Parts: sequence; C-alpha cells; structure tokens
Amino acid sequence: MSLAAETPAASETILRRNLATFTGNRLAMLCALIVVLFVVMAVFAPWIAPHDPNETDLFRRLQPPGWMAGGEWSYVLGCDALGRDILSRIVYGARISIFIGIVVILVATTIGILAGLAAGYLRGWVDMLISRIVDILLGFPYLIFAIGLMAMMGPGLWNIIFALAYKEWVIPARVVRGETLVTRELEYVEAARALGASRGHIMLREILPNVLSPVIVVATIRMAHVIILEASLSFLGLGVQPPTASWGSMVADGRAFMLEAWWVSTFPGLAILFLVLAINVASQGLRDAFDPRFSE
Amino acid sequence: MSLSKLLERIAQLVPVLLGVSVIAFTMMALTPGDPVQIMIGDQAITAEQEAQLRHDMGLDRPMVERFFIFLGNTTHFDFGESFYHKRPVADVIAERLPATIELSLVALVVALATAIPLGVLAAIKKNSIFDRIATVGSLLGVSLPGFWFGILLLMLFAVHLHLLPVSGRIGFDSEVPSVTGFLLIDTLVAGNMKAFGDAVAHLILPAITLGLPMTAILMRVTRTSMLEVLRQDYVTFADAKGLSRRRVLFRHALKNALIPTVSVAAIETGSLLGGNMIVETVYGWPGLGRLVVESIFLRNYPLVQAAVLFYAVTYVLLNFVADLLYTVLNPRVKL
Amino acid sequence: MKTLHKMLTAAAVAACFGTPAAWATDLTVGFTLDANTLDPANHRKRETETIIRNMYDGILTRDANMKVVPQIAESMVQVSPTVYDFKIRKGIKFHDGSDLTADDVKFTIDRITEDGGMGNGQTSPRQSLMGPVAGTEVIDGDTVRITLKEPWPILPAMLPFEEVVSKAWIEKVGNEGAATSENGTGPFKLAEWRKGDAIIMDRFDEYYGGSTEIPPVGKACVDRVIFKIIPESASRVAALLAGDVDIINELPPFSVKQVENNPDTVVMKVNGTRSFFIAMNMQGKYFADHRVREAAAHAIDKQLIIDKILGGNAAPIEGILSPDAFAASTDLHKYSYDPELSKKLLAEAGYPDGIDITMDVEGAFKDTAEATASLLSKAGFHTKVVVGEGAQLSEKWRTKGGEKTGDMYFTSWGNGSLDPFDIFTPTHKTNDRGNSAGYSNPEVDKLLDEAAVEVDTVKRAGMYHQAEVIVNKDLPYIYLWVPADLYGVSKRLKGWKPSADSRINLHDACIE
Repeated sequence: MSLAAETPAASETILRRNLATFTGNRLAMLCALIVVLFVVMAVFAPWIAPHDPNETDLFRRLQPPGWMAGGEWSYVLGCDALGRDILSRIVYGARISIFIGIVVILVATTIGILAGLAAGYLRGWVDMLISRIVDILLGFPYLIFAIGLMAMMGPGLWNIIFALAYKEWVIPARVVRGETLVTRELEYVEAARALGASRGHIMLREILPNVLSPVIVVATIRMAHVIILEASLSFLGLGVQPPTASWGSMVADGRAFMLEAWWVSTFPGLAILFLVLAINVASQGLRDAFDPRFSE
Repeated sequence: MSLSKLLERIAQLVPVLLGVSVIAFTMMALTPGDPVQIMIGDQAITAEQEAQLRHDMGLDRPMVERFFIFLGNTTHFDFGESFYHKRPVADVIAERLPATIELSLVALVVALATAIPLGVLAAIKKNSIFDRIATVGSLLGVSLPGFWFGILLLMLFAVHLHLLPVSGRIGFDSEVPSVTGFLLIDTLVAGNMKAFGDAVAHLILPAITLGLPMTAILMRVTRTSMLEVLRQDYVTFADAKGLSRRRVLFRHALKNALIPTVSVAAIETGSLLGGNMIVETVYGWPGLGRLVVESIFLRNYPLVQAAVLFYAVTYVLLNFVADLLYTVLNPRVKL
Repeated sequence: MKTLHKMLTAAAVAACFGTPAAWATDLTVGFTLDANTLDPANHRKRETETIIRNMYDGILTRDANMKVVPQIAESMVQVSPTVYDFKIRKGIKFHDGSDLTADDVKFTIDRITEDGGMGNGQTSPRQSLMGPVAGTEVIDGDTVRITLKEPWPILPAMLPFEEVVSKAWIEKVGNEGAATSENGTGPFKLAEWRKGDAIIMDRFDEYYGGSTEIPPVGKACVDRVIFKIIPESASRVAALLAGDVDIINELPPFSVKQVENNPDTVVMKVNGTRSFFIAMNMQGKYFADHRVREAAAHAIDKQLIIDKILGGNAAPIEGILSPDAFAASTDLHKYSYDPELSKKLLAEAGYPDGIDITMDVEGAFKDTAEATASLLSKAGFHTKVVVGEGAQLSEKWRTKGGEKTGDMYFTSWGNGSLDPFDIFTPTHKTNDRGNSAGYSNPEVDKLLDEAAVEVDTVKRAGMYHQAEVIVNKDLPYIYLWVPADLYGVSKRLKGWKPSADSRINLHDACIE
C-alpha cells in the first residue's frame, strides 16, 4: 500500500507546480480576479445593489441611463419596462448565472467522472452501456434537448439545472474515459492491482488524481458555456422565474425595446460577455498551465 | 478504411437512433399540454367534436401503442403528419431544411476562411502582438452570447445604418424559380445576379453571428496544430535543406496542420445545424431550428420526433465524415 | 438612401444583362406568423386565415364596421330559426378559370361540417366553428340551403370565417394539393409560397369585384401582395420604419411613438376582441372566499397599467365581454382601485397580514402580469409571478372540472366573432373548457345555454346581460382590459383600414 500512498502525493506536487505556472500568467490572473469579483458581487448583492431589484415603478418605465437626458445618476444604467433599476438587477442576476454555472458543472463533473472512470477502467459491458448512452445524448442538439426538458418539467431553478446537467455530464465523462484508458495501463496502477487493491480504491485513489487536471480545465471552459446556455434558455422564455433577475431574460425582455430603449438589453448582455470572457481567459491560462500539450 | 469498420459504424447507428427515438417520444408524451386543446384555441366546442379531433390526430390511442406505431412507421421513413400543417412531417421539414443548411454552410465557409489564415499567422508569429490579439479575439468570439450579439448587429447595420436588410432570406424584387431551395444556387441557375446579390446581403449578418464562435474555435485548433507541425522533424529538415520558408510552410506544414482543423470543423457543423434556432429567431430566418422550437411549444409531436431523429442522424454522419477526413488526409492514421 | 445592399445589387446587375423589371405596385405586409396550410378547411389558426382570406372569398364577409354582409352569396334569407337560404351570385370565377356554382358552396360546407367530410375518414378541424349544422342542399339551381339541428343564431356571424373552394379542383388535387396551392375566388391568387419566409400573391384580373356592399367593387388595386413573415416585433417595426413593408400587425404599444414620429408612417388601431382577465382558483384555499376575490379586484389599478404599459391602447372591462361584443353590458359595477379597502377585506376574511400567492402567466404577457402582481403585493397579496409555457398552463388551469392547483392565472380569451357564445360559455359555464377559475353557478349555466339557441336578439341580449350582472357580482375572475389591435402603416398606403376581426383585407388597398 505504500506505493499507492505515494502517487497521489506526486500528483499533488504536479498540481502545485501547475498552479504556480498559472499564477505566473498575468492576464489569466487578472481574469480570475474578475471572476472572483463577480462571485463577490453575487454573494453580497444586497449590500452592493443600489436598489431593490424587484421594486417596480411604472413612472420610471424605460428611464434612460444617468448620463443621458431624462436619466438620473441614482439609476445609473437606466430602468427596464417596469421601472426597475437595471444595475441592481444585473448585480442580483449574477447570482443566477454563477449559481447555475457552478451547480451544473459540479453535478455534471461528478457524474461524468464516475461514469468515465467506470467505463474506462471496468471496460466490458459497463463501457459499452455508458458509451451508448453518451452517443445517444450527443445525438441531441444541446439547446433543443434542454428546451424539450424544460417544456416537460415546467419552470423552476432546479429544473434548469437538471435540463442542462442531463447532457453536460457527457463531456467530462468522455474526457475521463479517455484518460482512464491510458492511466489504467500505467505501472503503478498495475502494481496496486497486484497488491490486491479493490477496484473502487484503484479508480478513486489511484486513477482519479491523475485524470483530474484535464477535467478541471474542461470544467472551467464548460462553465462559461453553461452560463451562455442558461441565458439562451432564459432568452427563449424557459429560464428562471420573474421577478428574479436573470441576465438572459433581461436581454430577452429588452430586445423588443431595442429601437426605443437600447440600454435595457445591452447592459445585461455586456455582463454575460464580461463574465464569460473572464472565465474563458482564465481557463485558457489553466489549460496552458495544466496541459502542456496545448501550451505555447 | 476497411469495409468491416464501415459496417461496424453503421451497426452502431442503430442503437443510437433507437435510443434517440425512445427519448424523443417519451419526452413529448410526458410533456403536459394537450395538442387538441392548443389546436382548438379560444372557441366553444362540443365533447363529441373534440373527441373526433383527438381521433383524427391519432391521440386517442394509448401511449405505448402510439409509440410502436411511430417506431413501425419510422422504419419505412413515414414520420406522420404535422398536426398543424396537415401535411407529411417529412415535407414540412424538407421545406425548411435548405434555409438552415445554406446558412450553416455559409457560416462554415466564412469561419474556415477567416480561421485558417489567422491561425497560421498566429502560429508563425508566435507570442507576437498579433498572436496575443488573435488569442484574446478568439476567446472573445466564443464568449459572445449569440442572441445578444445578433440583436446588436441587427440594430447597428440594418436599422441604424440601413446597410443590410432586416429579416428574411431574399427580397421580392425578383422572383426566383426554386430548383434546389438553396437561394445562392437558385439565383445563379436563374442567371439573376441581382437576386444573388440580394440573397448574399441577407446572409451576411446571420452567417457572422452563427459563424463567429466557430471561427474562434477553429482558429485555436489551427494555431495549435500548426505549432505542433512546425516542431516536427521533417519541417526542420526541410528548413535545413534550404527550401524557402514559404514553400516549407505551405507545401508541407499547412497540409498536415489542417487535418485537425477540418475534422473539428465537420463535428462543429453538427452543432451549427442544431444551434441555429437562436440566430433564426433573431434574424427571422425561415429555418428548421425555429420550426422545431415552435413545434415543441405547440406540442406538434410528429414534427419534433422526426426533427430530433434528423439531428441525430446528421450528428452521427458528420462524426463519421470527420473520422473519414482524418484518415484520408492523414494516411498514417488507421481507423 | 445608398445602401451596401443596393450597391451589391447594382454591381451584380452590371455584371450581366438584367431584364428591366416592369413597373408594378407591390404591397408588403410584415406579418407575425406564416400560414400553416392554404387549405381553408384544414386549420384552426387566425393568422393562417388572415393570409388565406385574401385568396379565397366567403359566402358572407364583414364590412369595416364589422357588419356581416353577403360576398359570394347575393342574399341571405332566414326561412325559419333553423333554415337559412343563400342565393349564390352568378359570374364568379375561380382562379383556374372555372365558374363557381351552388354545388361548390354546398361542397365547401359539407367538407367542413360532415363527419369524415375531408375524405379518408378525416373530419375538418373547423367543424365545431360551424355549430349544429344538420345538412346542406342545393335548391333550384343557385340557392344553397343550410339546415341546423337546433336554432343557432350566430351562424351568419360565423360564416365569414369559412372560405369557398372548388369541388372539381379539390377532387383533382386532393387535400395534399389544397394544403400548398390554392384555387379561390378572391382578389389575389398565389404566386409563390416561400415557406416560413413569405407568401407572394398576384392580382386576379378576372375577380368578380367582391361584396357589393363594400365599395369600391372591382379588381384589386395593387399588382402584388406580399406577406413577409417577421416574428420578432422589433424587426417588424424596423422593417416598417425602413420602408421595407407597408403594413405591420401587432405593433407593440411602446413602439407607437416611434412609428408616429417617423414622417412616412402612421399608427392605426382598432378595438381588439381579446379579453384579458385573472382567474382566481375558486377551489383553492384563499379564493373560495368572496371577500378575498373582491379584495383582489380592488387592488388593481387597471387604468395605471393601461396608461403606462399599454400606452393607453386598451379598454378596461368589468365583465368578460369586449365593449364591442354583442350584448356587452355598459352598466356593470366597477371595482375601483382601493388598496386600503383590499387590506380591510383581507383582514375581514382572516388574513390581516396578507397572503402569499403565485400568479401563473405565459411569457408573452409577463410585463403586464408583473405590473399587476406588484400592485397586488402592495395591497397585501404577496404575489410571485410564475412564467410558464402556454400549453403547460392551460393544462394546469383549464381542467374542465378536474382538480386544480395554483392561486391566480393571468390569461386571456379571444372572441373574433364578437358573439358572447364563443367566450362567455367556455369561460363561465360549469366545467367548460376555458373555465379556469373553477366557477359554477347553475343560474349562469342556464342563461348561457338558453341564450345560445335564442333566436330573438332582444331576448338573447337580455339573457347575456343578466348573466354578466351575476358574474360581475360573483367575481370568479378579475376582468382587466381588451387591448386595441395596433398596426403600423406606411403613409403611401391608401384605402386600407384595420378590422376588428384581425383580418387584413387588401382588396381595396392602394399604393401611391
């Protein structure tokens, strides 16, 4: 068992070294900081938002941003069709986007890791079954599948999470399966097997730490994608419930007013763009650090 | 590729399509909402008349029976009749398909035409300012929410600047006989250059919105694989032989570097076809994606089921094409 | 306006020999939805009918004031409460050049009303729109007689919704052919249907002129009519402002100012026929109590929402009927906006601290529902709006007597015929298909059933009035408003007015 205890430690040092490379990348660090700021904004929304995001005031309907004629600086980004403060709704909307992004990725990655490990290590009919399920789910266009599930389950935050995670796990599962197929043949795994370690032990303690780096990279990239998907669902009217602010539904609500009140959908769209871009740049940095095959 | 591999691929298609059919059918069947009620809308109706409608739509049978009828008919390519169009679902889908395919292919061409030169250049001038800008630019491309960016483009170029048309596939100044359903081809066949220009003008914004994320992805892939190829021995060797740098790059390196790009492009085309409905909604593009989303809302079961099957087949075929391209372009890989 | 679009075009023209296009006047309509089918007997969709109706004429039609007038029929005689005779005009030609006869009219009605009338055992989905028709026969060559199983006074109001087809043609092309091509008698004939994108029609030069009671009688004015499908409202408005289209339907209220400020466009409006209301679940915990329902009615400032969100383009209602509908009452009790009274009533009902409720609504009406909910919240109804998808919500609420969950449902019901039968009965009769409040009052049921077959219009109006008074008191719904239908119209368009039945009749429209 001493052998088995060594390898995770070894992979921990790799992780640490990778992290060091990552922190050396200034742009990636800056973007990671922006993501952290978005998270802070979401967590402390009640203290940051200047107004109640759901307080309607029909007399402020479509009020322009502070710097425009007819605007007020206390409503700096203007108001939406029900006279709600757009800035406050963007601040609160971060909660939805980030929460959904994180939960979907956590759920999907957990399922994906387990399925991928099982398929890659156990092979045989388990692999066959999981691979077929993966093929079937990949055959559905993502958004159409999510729309269908939302129509089936009805509105609700957890339903969105389910509708997105239902297919999302396939992506980490494929990555983990591929890595596991390689790792299972490595010497130290063979050794553990020879020492009589249980299959569960080998999969979770020997193989998992080694396939974690690519999974983390994929998870961050996919999180950016999931945030856009959630916003797309909201845009199509199948997202979170009003009056809860969601960036996607804010853009959707505002698109009808584009001609007369561009600010209603432009600012929440920018919020999505900034968050997703920051996540993408940070994950690019992660990839460079963790996955030398792609780094240059 | 050997014949047995090909057959194996085709055999794999069967369980996938069966699984997709089962999921598509049960998903629609379990979705609350009654197609008959939706169809009647706001009117008074007697119970007998309602039962008659239900019978005519085949919805009076138990779910399991309906499933096997659907499955049986599907095996000989009968997908049933659309509840609302009152025509075979296959016809309705076929009418919308050319618009979707045309847009996807144009987006693909635009993406390849931009991504390859940019990716190659970024690789050659690795770590230059250009490379950094291209990297950040490509990340920006994948980060833009299409529904939002599409609206902004539309407002800017069509509404405020009046440079491009607002919506649809072509104007009405000229009638174009429909031969293929692809307007770019039909207008050329008719020799009507004016209509061709019009069709191009209608395509520009939707193709950019749809193609941008793909451009970004393909650029990254090209850059990465180009860098890898440039490190290979034979390139270094060619350099050493004194062949011109340009010749080395274009004759040897590029050809090999493009293999991953092309196969990724084939796979991504699948998601272009399936991810269209946002762009189609924003630009009023009469394609399949919008029709499918409308059909989900209207509980038009036969149409949704058939369209989902179509997407699945396309997805599997495109993956197959990607593998094939990979083998053809790169004889070292054996499938 | 020099555009890239035109430059591209010009460059392309220069590259080859273009044939100069003949000067023709086109009228383009920016329209929300494509037709599902072109078969007049095989759909249930208002937008589909709007498009078809420019190619097909009906036995009867409506003039600009919604009065029913003959079209293909020369005259209509009500022989008895259950027998109607229609004398068919001579000299009407179908688009394929054949003459229209009384047999074609009989065939049309049979195809819609008979069980299995579409052939292959299929029944027309429009059957229920024609009520209790027993049979149709041709008497003395050019007169068609429709016999009813029981008196159904709204037959003349429903006939304009049905269009006459050619028997020989349908028998030749079948239902498949009729779905994608047409052979009507209307002012325009189909040139090309680009599915999902546009329907293009040419003027029919042998048109008989249309109803003699709607001048001018004669051929259509424009050479070509194009229904261009633009589902996004912002794009539709943009197309109008850019001059690409001449008429747009469903102009959003907040775009009214823009269209009015544009020098080339105007806004036209007509009273709508869709009533909006909030169903309160009378089987539920709170709203079984009349005081709670009354409190909710007093909590909503309808006029504020009409002014601020609907741009003043809606008429408040106190009953289900639109002010233009047959027998609409004008003297119903008004539940004034009085949040203090609401709180008092809620307290009396045992809820001094208010109640937490949800309000279901479809995405399309989200803004007005949210505004309504915030007013309710201020009066003690802490309301959470839940946006659902239409089909899901109607299954949840329109249970036809089955058990239902939920507190409030912000919804609407259309009434294109403007006859109470089509809106009052489904929404208020016990267990009927649109009765989302779960309301049941035997007295109302009796009045609605009797009114449906009462031939004497004065008596019939009296019954509906009586029912409206009862319902206004019982308050199963909070009756909100009937929004006006708004159209954006180019100033170069003459001779066209929107109509309350949401038809877009382009026969008399001209382009200057």
